[in-house]
Amino acid sequence: MTRTLIILVAAVAVAVAGGPAAADDAPAGAPCARPVDAAVRAALGSSLLPGTPILCGAASAETKNVLAQVAFADGRTATVEVAPNGVVLATSYAHTDLSGSAGKGMAALFWAFALASVAGALFVVTRRNLIAAVMGMVGSFLGIAAIYMMLYAQFLAVVQMLVYAGAIMVLFVFVVMILNRPEDEPVAPSGRAGQALGGLAIVYLIGRLIFLLIDVQPPNPEVAMAAPPAAEHCVEWANKACTRMAAYDWGSVRSVGTDLFGPGLFPFEAISILLLLAVVGAIAIAKPVHVDDDAPARTREEGAA
Amino acid sequence: MSDLLWNVGYGHFLVLAAVLFLIGVGGVLIRRNALIILMSVELMLNAANVTLMAFSRMWGDISAHTFALIVIAVAAAEASVGLAIVVAVFRGRRNVEVDRLNTLRH
Repeated sequence: MTRTLIILVAAVAVAVAGGPAAADDAPAGAPCARPVDAAVRAALGSSLLPGTPILCGAASAETKNVLAQVAFADGRTATVEVAPNGVVLATSYAHTDLSGSAGKGMAALFWAFALASVAGALFVVTRRNLIAAVMGMVGSFLGIAAIYMMLYAQFLAVVQMLVYAGAIMVLFVFVVMILNRPEDEPVAPSGRAGQALGGLAIVYLIGRLIFLLIDVQPPNPEVAMAAPPAAEHCVEWANKACTRMAAYDWGSVRSVGTDLFGPGLFPFEAISILLLLAVVGAIAIAKPVHVDDDAPARTREEGAA
Repeated sequence: MSDLLWNVGYGHFLVLAAVLFLIGVGGVLIRRNALIILMSVELMLNAANVTLMAFSRMWGDISAHTFALIVIAVAAAEASVGLAIVVAVFRGRRNVEVDRLNTLRH
């Protein structure tokens, strides 16, 4: 009996305490006017399920623009600024669960991956065995990819793993296998004095760089690994003036792609020509010698061996 | 000191990039194998990319990501042509030690 009473009281207390809070959680605003609603649905396109409610805030006093809020099913929210005549002025996406990755655990991860990349790099320059050097390079690249991820460059981290740790390193392994050379001396024979002098110079340079760079004063005071704000892009132009802005998650494929195929379009095309030239050049250089001058080349090789 | 350890800021990423770059420079200077030298150059390009990313976050400018992608594409082109040259040189002289290579002809 007493227990039932307690449960009843608790339920009433939860209802009283939770009721107004639940009402506060709902986004402020009313359903939009029909032209605004249609414009927002057209602007967000297929990423918006049909039936998702769109809520409009009050129109701004001087410009009469309306801010419409949409909550997606995957936890993102979009804010769309619409002019009274139905023209979309700006779109901004945000993750509601973006909490940043600053903290002791993340700092420990940074040190772990920084150590992995530096150790891999040291492995490259000190190993006699070429395959061991390539494997150290792969470890170094994976550590650098994790460092990219910590800087919120997700797309670049994936590209780093695919292109560097995958493709380029496989190319190196192939060439090491083709050469099939015995292990060689790790360092050039430049004499003890020269090596000591070079080592001292490098250590001095590293020390000076660390003391210089560790004090870098960023223009924004927050920690480097805190969640970044969304990146602003201009997505529509008219007469060389921006008519519509959009903000996408920092470092996402959508954000990098919008920049790459907008302001970065010319470098992108130039890179495609460069890659074509590299492919043709690599084949032209590495192709075996001609049949008609094969015999003299073979005698030369035997002479050298 | 513990602040430096647990409060990772932009300086940490820049120092890491500088250390990686210097290891790459050291590799180019002290190694004689052409393959290791190529790998050290790749390491230096990566260190430059880390610096780009840190400054991109610092100034809130996403175009550094585009630039880093272009650097990766240039590195891929450089690796393919460089390795082709290494293979061609090895085919002619059975040797890829840069100290012993002083002419481009066979």
